[in-house]
Formats: sequence, C-alpha cells, structure tokens
Amino acid sequence: MTVPDTMEGAYVLSVIDFFLSFVIIWGISLVLYIFPYLNKLGHLDDNKLRGGH
Amino acid sequence: MFEQISSLMLNLAEQTGIAQLWWGNIVMIMVGAILIYLALSRRYEPFLLLGIGFSCIVANVPGSDLTQPGGLFYYAYKGVELVIIPPLIFLGVGAMTDFGPMIANPSLMILGAAAHLGIFIALIGAKALGFTLAEAGAIGIIGGADGPMAIFVTMKLAPHLLPQIAVAAYSYMALMPLIQPPIMKLLTSPAERQIVMTQGRTVSRLEKICFPFVIAIIVNLLLPPVAPLITMLMLGNMLREVLMVDRLASTAANDLMNVITITLTVAVGSTMEASKFLNIQTLEIVVLGLVAFMGGTASGVIGAKIMNWFSGGKINPLIGSAGIASVPIAARVSHVVGLQENPYNFLIMHAMGPNLAGVFGTAISGGIMLALIGIK
Repeated sequence: MTVPDTMEGAYVLSVIDFFLSFVIIWGISLVLYIFPYLNKLGHLDDNKLRGGH
Repeated sequence: MFEQISSLMLNLAEQTGIAQLWWGNIVMIMVGAILIYLALSRRYEPFLLLGIGFSCIVANVPGSDLTQPGGLFYYAYKGVELVIIPPLIFLGVGAMTDFGPMIANPSLMILGAAAHLGIFIALIGAKALGFTLAEAGAIGIIGGADGPMAIFVTMKLAPHLLPQIAVAAYSYMALMPLIQPPIMKLLTSPAERQIVMTQGRTVSRLEKICFPFVIAIIVNLLLPPVAPLITMLMLGNMLREVLMVDRLASTAANDLMNVITITLTVAVGSTMEASKFLNIQTLEIVVLGLVAFMGGTASGVIGAKIMNWFSGGKINPLIGSAGIASVPIAARVSHVVGLQENPYNFLIMHAMGPNLAGVFGTAISGGIMLALIGIK
C-alpha cells in the first residue's frame, strides 16, 4: 500500500518519514554504543596495516 | 547573382545561434555569470559553482550541439540520468570522510534526524502549491542538503524537475554560510553559543574498519531503495580505513572525485536551458528549497537545545544546524559561529558528528519516501 497523492497523504508521509528517521537513527546509534566493546577483540596497529600494494 | 549571394548569406545568418537567441537565454547567461561571480569573488563552493555556471552559459548559447543528443554535455547528463554519477560521488565522499566523530558520540546522531524537518515542511508546502506527491518529495529532499541524494531521489520521483532541484540544492549548499548563521543566532542565546563541549573519546582503527560493514548491512536491509548510495559511501570509507589500499582510497577521494565533480557540474548546468528553466515552477522550487534549508537549520538547532537541556548544559546548540548533511560545510558554519562568541571554542569536531549523521538522515528520509510513494 502506498501513500495517496493528496494533502492528507503528504501529511501522513511526512509524519511517518520523520518519525521513522528518528527510530532508525536512534537504532544505529545504539549499535554504535556497542562499538567500544569491539576493542576487546584485539587491537589493530596502523603501521602494520599500511604498506599494502 | 546578387540575390543568390544575399540568400546564401541570410541562410548562413539564420543558422547561427544569434538568430535563435531570445531574452530567456540572456537571463540565464546572466544567472550563470552570477554563479561564477559567487565562486570566484566570494569563494562560495567554487568546485561546484564554476562548472555549473559555465555550462549554464554554454547551454543558453543557441546553436551548440553540446547539450543535444550526441553532444558531450548530453552524455554527461546521461551519467546523472542513469544514476551512475551520484553513487560514484558517494564513493569519493566515503573515501575522504572520517566517521570517527560520529562513532565517538552516538547520541549526537539524533540531530541528523532532527535537522531534516525542513524536508517535510517543503514537501507539504509543495503539495499545497499543486505539485504531485512524488514531485513534492523530490523538492522536499533539497532540505537534506545532500547533492547526490537529491539527484538520486529526484531521478526516481520526478526526473523532469532535476535541473531546478539540482541547481537549488547545490546553490543553497554553497550559500549555507549566508543562510544558516542568522537562524542559529536567532534561536540561541549568547550563553548557549559559548558552551564548550568536552572532547570525545578516541575511536580505534578496529572500530573504524567495522563501521562501514555494519552500516552497509543495517541501512541496506532496512532501506533497499538507497542501497546504491549507502553501499558506495561505505565502500569508499572502507578503502580509506583499512589503510592498506591507500592508492585506491586516494584515487576515489581525489582523481575520481575530481572527474565526477567536473562531469556532474557540467551535467547540472547544461540542463539550465531557458525554455525549461524560466517558469513559475522553477521559482516555486527555489523558494521551497530555501524554506527547506531554513526549516532544517531551525529544527536542528532546536533539537540540540532540547538535548542541551536534558544533558544539563553540555551540548552547544550551534552543532544542531550541522545535522543538515552537506559535509563539511554545515559543520564549518557551526564552528565559525561558535568562534565568533568564543575564539577558543573549537566546535568543528563536535559538529562533524551530527553533520555526518545528517548524511544518513537524508538517505534514510529519502529511502522511506521512495518506499512509501512506491518507487523502487
């Protein structure tokens, strides 16, 4: 089902889109909060990574 | 014989561009000249405005085949029309972007959503003016201040509006240092503008390498319509962060980006032909684009004020306006306005968090829009 091409449709689209943007970005930020725990898996040395060809 | 010569000379004259010139071409040539003036004299985004202005002028000199099928500018536009150029731009953007500030302060990501209210203000306004919902969505996305995303969404929703929307999006991005500061100062107090934020944590190499994989999977799972852009953004970022393919990262961030920028600006400017551009619809789109930018700036600042209130005064509201995408212009504006209040308050890295989040905010808003309107 898609949004109807009316003013009501514009309002509905805007409300859903704006609200969902917050939800999705909040969800991504939650994932990023877990990122520091990745450092327990190990440490990557920049100097060893450089020098590829 | 004299009559024959006269007839041939007249025929020759009629084939020149001068015979086809009309006042609309003159107006658009002046518009192109103004864009070039802004680039050269005021240094407003010369990488964008020079190419757009120049090709606008050329497109309005009648008789040239550059913009006609088979012409050079025609094929440049094909790259936009076939949605090849916007993902390549995002490849370059990803290769030159350090997402560390965003990873270090995930809470500020929410400003990347807050600052996009302008998209929907413009969308509703466009619908009220009589545009279709798809056209209104394409116009609204100008407020995301993300050129490639604006082009991508417009080509899906309303390709016939690409010239106006692309020019509005890129011009307002270049004019952000003029548009945003008055709104930022209106909505904040001097005390708020002087808030010094604590430095974010250091983000490790492992985190930076994992970031593009995680984000590509999450965003593409949730919003397949914008997968081409986000995939290329994260690919470019991965090339940058693994460090061992520095040649590829350098090419994506520099040489490829330069080639694509030239192609894109030429393509956008070449669509500014007077007969297509000079109409009421263009004026409406230009005004709505400005409304979207201003609305987004205001909503971002207000969002940051709310966060500042909840955090007990730890967040400078000026960084809220950087939630509009347009990396790093919007972050730079926040930094400069902050410096005007306190010359020792360096907001740039704090503002980069919301600024980078704004890229995802625009992609997410655009992706949801495409899904709800029924475009794949």
